[in-house]
Amino acid sequence: MKLEAHSLAIGYSDRLVGRDLDVVLATGEVLALLGPNGSGKTTLLKTLLGLLVPKAGEVRLDDRRLGSYDSRERARLVAYVPQSHQATFAFTVETIVLMGRTAHGNLFSRPTVSDRAVAARSLERFGIAHLRDRPYTMISGGERQLALLARALAQEPRFIVLDEPTASLDFGNQGKVMREIRSLAASGHGVLFTTHDPNHALRAADRAYLLRDGSRIADGPVSSVLTCEQLTALYGATVEQVTDASAGTSAFLPG
Amino acid sequence: MLNRRTLLGSLGAVLLLPGRARAATVVDSAGRSISVPARVERVFPAGPPAAILLYTLAPDLLIGWPRPNREEECEYMLPDICARPEVGRITGRGNTANLEVVLAFKPDLILDVGAIAPTFVSLASRVQEQTGIPYALLDGRFDAIVPTYRTLGALAHRSAAVESLAQYAEDTMTTIKGRIAGIPAEQRPKVYYARGPRGLETGLAGSINVEIIEFMGVRNVASQRPGGLALVSIEQVLLWNPDVIITIDRDFAAGVRHDPLWNAVNAVRDGRVHLSPKVPFGWVDFPPSVNRLIGLWWLAKIIYPELFPEDLRALTRDFYTRFYHRTPTDVQIEHVLAGRD
Amino acid sequence: MSRSAAPGFAVALTVLVIGVLIAFTVGRYPIALSDLFSVILGKLSGRPPDVPPIVENVIWQVRGPRVIAAALVGAALAVAGTAFQGLFRNPLVSPDILGASSGAALGAVLGIFFSLGVLAIQSLAFVGGLLAVAAVYLIGSAVRSRDPVLVLVLTGVVIGALLGAGVGLVKYLADPYNQLPAMTFWLLGSLAATTLSDLLPLFGPVAAGTLVLIALRWRMNVMSLPDEEARALGVPTGPLRVVIVAAATLVTSASVATAGIIGWVGLVVPHMARSLVGPDFARLIPAAALLGGGFLLVIDTVARTGAAIEIPLGILTAVVGTPFFIWLLTSVSRTWS
Repeated sequence: MKLEAHSLAIGYSDRLVGRDLDVVLATGEVLALLGPNGSGKTTLLKTLLGLLVPKAGEVRLDDRRLGSYDSRERARLVAYVPQSHQATFAFTVETIVLMGRTAHGNLFSRPTVSDRAVAARSLERFGIAHLRDRPYTMISGGERQLALLARALAQEPRFIVLDEPTASLDFGNQGKVMREIRSLAASGHGVLFTTHDPNHALRAADRAYLLRDGSRIADGPVSSVLTCEQLTALYGATVEQVTDASAGTSAFLPG
Repeated sequence: MLNRRTLLGSLGAVLLLPGRARAATVVDSAGRSISVPARVERVFPAGPPAAILLYTLAPDLLIGWPRPNREEECEYMLPDICARPEVGRITGRGNTANLEVVLAFKPDLILDVGAIAPTFVSLASRVQEQTGIPYALLDGRFDAIVPTYRTLGALAHRSAAVESLAQYAEDTMTTIKGRIAGIPAEQRPKVYYARGPRGLETGLAGSINVEIIEFMGVRNVASQRPGGLALVSIEQVLLWNPDVIITIDRDFAAGVRHDPLWNAVNAVRDGRVHLSPKVPFGWVDFPPSVNRLIGLWWLAKIIYPELFPEDLRALTRDFYTRFYHRTPTDVQIEHVLAGRD
Repeated sequence: MSRSAAPGFAVALTVLVIGVLIAFTVGRYPIALSDLFSVILGKLSGRPPDVPPIVENVIWQVRGPRVIAAALVGAALAVAGTAFQGLFRNPLVSPDILGASSGAALGAVLGIFFSLGVLAIQSLAFVGGLLAVAAVYLIGSAVRSRDPVLVLVLTGVVIGALLGAGVGLVKYLADPYNQLPAMTFWLLGSLAATTLSDLLPLFGPVAAGTLVLIALRWRMNVMSLPDEEARALGVPTGPLRVVIVAAATLVTSASVATAGIIGWVGLVVPHMARSLVGPDFARLIPAAALLGGGFLLVIDTVARTGAAIEIPLGILTAVVGTPFFIWLLTSVSRTWS
């Protein structure tokens, strides 16, 4: 299944943020979206999720116009993981994850036994089953991000879209979340995430899409797209590449 | 020499002319000395009680009414006076008169009848200072009617005319008080005053709303505490079980006999629910002025029917002629006594 | 599901039951507990009870309607307050936030100003509340914004202030001897005049609105998330928000039309319920309904027995609510943030 956008123009009612964007995401692969602040990454993300209406062009999901899905149908195919945030109400982690099952019921339905089973499996998958009864407001940032990941997985979607999933995480948790993203692709999901860190893209993504000032600079396999020249052009600042010859891995450093 | 004697003579004759108005100093009910001009032709009423009081004594002096009168009310008053313009109110609860508007009416005197609390006294002095017009504050309490009338007579230079009104008031109050004086406390009925469409608003002890009811020496069931108006529940009324209910609300009076709850009350069962007449001015409660004097007779006949055999129609005709300066027809009297608008 | 909620629900139910018992037995008119039972048994068995008819009358015609009204209004305001706190993501929100109470107040004082009958005054109040919120909604939706909820709140505050000024104007122009006291009493809130015939117009909208909110409780958790998240989870937030606001407004307007302005119930009871059953709206809403009914029953019982004259409900709820709320704010609140 594919989530794709053709000749997409994105923006809000009062302004245009980006144009001529073509994005393709297939199930089983990971796409990383990079760009400096204000490049339109979040706007593009929300348009691909169906939360914003395209100003031109269209987004297609499983070869059907995204706008033709109602929110329930769409939520069963595409899940959204926002940046972990402070919640107003101290729901338990299990309650949070159960919210992911909303699209599988109707307006008045209560969680069924199978809903709870799916939620439990989701918690297990991310190793946070022991936090089930803990209030969301009393767990760490990393645990919150994992809870939101679990909630997305509980939707049993084909695609998972994450907005800066490592933004407020400590170093150790960043790696953990990146590993989960890879495993999600391995289990057949299509994953799209935005990030400020090219290293995360390098390690976790198959392809990368570089966005600057609302225009595509480059897109393609990470090995060919994530180069010093491309990244320097993207961020408008020098970027250094450091390679470990023996392991064959490399990393980028801000210059 | 001839000129000087003539001059002196005429001067003397002028000064000794009886009944001629001259500038005077009158002490109002708040103890303030009011300098009244020699000629008083236009008087501004600060509120409804003042307007009514002045109308009864000297309708020609009344500049206008705080609130416009309705047509139904004007049928019982002098039509041209009744139709005088709306002038707003200066004191009481809520100022709607603009002082510049007051000045534009060019009054010789501002008359205020009501409470003599320090708030109103300071308001009186303030307005007098600002406008330069003498502002007299008179006591509006029911039992102060007689001295208030006499003070008004002095202010308006109508001391002779006021005597008949003051005497009527005094006689009424003395007569009624005299006849009920001998009644022992247990034989005085329990009275409940019902306001509002559900009849659950009532006046507490000493409130201006039940002034004349309490004048009748009855037991106001709501008099356990002093105060103004209050809400009660039907349960409380059932507990009090009044013998007589006085009301000013027509919907309540009409509906109460059919209400199964209220039928448990003595007053309703015995048919002693009475709707107060209200045209041109209420006979009980408001406006709190001399219009309540006729209400006294009405209450007396309701509460102690054996002691007051007087014909209420005759009393009404007499009162309306003297105080409202217009004799009502028999049809009109029936209309009034039925509590109609 | 009811892992830890059962004791909380038990407490809420107990409060309601105790409230009902106290309300029936306590009152200005002395009624013994034994008489109360005879009357109830008499009704059930069909035999006339051995009590004076006045006692039967007081129980069925006076206290009965008043107890039902207090429980209904209390439950309704509590549920509306809970729903709004979720919808607006703010635990300091009350059902009046969109101006329903101010609109109802304006309707009522206009009714009193034009010397209309009781039914007309109540109808005007009900319609006034609905119109006020409709206006807020229409104006709010005309404003394009990323945060539709914030726009609603701001519009509600503005319209509420405007309507409040309207109420002030009507009071200013009212006859101070007759209309003004009536307006004052009405605005302070009272169930003193509740009769059986009042209950039907109250019951309809309140039951409808409360049932809708209870039915939607499984979605309330999601509605308390930021709008985009909720939509991404598959909930049509726009239409659902309209339904929730409409239900809560129906409930609030009907309550204000019957009982005047009673504040604090919609603000404090949700918090009390939250401390009993936790923040999950699926449990919170039913718990708030039970607790709200019991709470207002107890308060109304005090209002009508504390003195010979009625103590206005709005004053009592404020006197009880304020210190309680301060205590809530200062104690360790593990229930939000």
